[in-house]
Amino acid sequence: MLVRLPVLTALVGSLCSAAPCPQRASWPTTEWPVKLVDRREKAAEVEALESFAFTLTGKDSERLGVRTDALLVFKKGVLVYEAYARGYQANTPHLSWSVAKSFTSALIGVAVKEGVVSLSDSICRHLPEAEETGHCDVTVEHLLTFSSGLLWQEEYENGVYQHSSVLSMFYGKGHRDQLAHILSHPLIHPPGEHWSYSTADAQLAASIAKRALEGKHGKDAFWRLLFDRLGLGQLVIEEDSKGMPQGGSAMYATPRDFAKFGFLFLNDGCWNGERLLPEGWVEKSVTPAAAYVATRPVEPRPNGLSWWLNRSLPQVDRPKPWPDAPEDAYAASGYWGQRIIVIPSEDVLIVRFGDDRKQPIDANELIKRALAVVR
Amino acid sequence: MRALVLAALVTACTPANGKRVYQNNDLELAVGNSARNGCSCRYVMKLSEEQCRAWVRANPDVASVRFDDEHQRVESVAFISWSAAAHVVDARHGCVLE
Repeated sequence: MLVRLPVLTALVGSLCSAAPCPQRASWPTTEWPVKLVDRREKAAEVEALESFAFTLTGKDSERLGVRTDALLVFKKGVLVYEAYARGYQANTPHLSWSVAKSFTSALIGVAVKEGVVSLSDSICRHLPEAEETGHCDVTVEHLLTFSSGLLWQEEYENGVYQHSSVLSMFYGKGHRDQLAHILSHPLIHPPGEHWSYSTADAQLAASIAKRALEGKHGKDAFWRLLFDRLGLGQLVIEEDSKGMPQGGSAMYATPRDFAKFGFLFLNDGCWNGERLLPEGWVEKSVTPAAAYVATRPVEPRPNGLSWWLNRSLPQVDRPKPWPDAPEDAYAASGYWGQRIIVIPSEDVLIVRFGDDRKQPIDANELIKRALAVVR
Repeated sequence: MRALVLAALVTACTPANGKRVYQNNDLELAVGNSARNGCSCRYVMKLSEEQCRAWVRANPDVASVRFDDEHQRVESVAFISWSAAAHVVDARHGCVLE
């Protein structure tokens, strides 16, 4: 009894201190509740939002201007604004680009909750291939905080194609075995010290999540443990021919379904009373990574566990990147202007998908105008 | 055509500013991009051929795209010598570049 009492006390204490899951009137597993804003009552605000977000310039083939395909705003778990353009409709799946990185981070969270991954794990525990290439000092957390230290040139089609690690991985000599391609890159920084945005880090994390979760739960564990529970069963994750998930860039879902992922984070990783992500995971996801703070990169948006944050960092003289948005706002963000923006203090989600080939949509302006519609 | 191919090969082999240089030429990347993203556009996003040709169009626009709806497969060719293809794997895993 003397031995067991502290254990019992600790257990009771742990249960009492566990963060409860948020309560909601309804959960959008099947469908989102819809109550659209009154366009007469909010005429000026809606006009301001749409004149900004749906601004095609010249011919569509010229790829100029703000090319929004879908824009949705949710307030208190209800869809209050929705518009589509350029041939897209509510049931059209859209490419995520790097919004996928935030999904991959959450999948690692699921693996942590399942007890098959720890953030402090060496990647070699899950990817034995990394032993041969000397990458065992890299941990799972380093991957989620873009601080693996790999020599990785995150460039796209706007630069010299032959300098792009990304194009080589997806479309060049590396495309058939992307894990081998990534691991062919040496470390140029001690892992955990230097922040550098990297699709390679996210791809490695996605492979770890897949191997760990499928090792315990079998094929398609991503869907059974997370996506199906959110009503995201139609979500697509592409893979290379060796089965490496494209967790850095290539997921597809409808904008309404992508919004469910934002709603999971708006509710502290819980869904309909069930905790799907570990307690404290969302908080850690939206806390600026130490490597980002130490590196002070050109990128003005702080990053947590592969989420972009509207945090000011006075210690390194950085203002919040979206000055007109609340400081607790954060986003999953992808190439060509894909955005899932979460604003806990307003209980608002903004989901925007598009095709901005020249310049991505100004997130600050988008948030400011969308909030004006729902306030 | 030869000038373009030569330029691409020269670019592929030239080191620059200490950066790693990947041995992919522009045409190889162009057809890979068109095939894979064309496949995903047509058979995952389920957009029209016209929309998908616009989606994958590169600059310069050197890669032609052919959609095979029956087999859910896309082939892309540039200047006869470079080609790539992608096909649908299944409903959850979209397209893969072959």
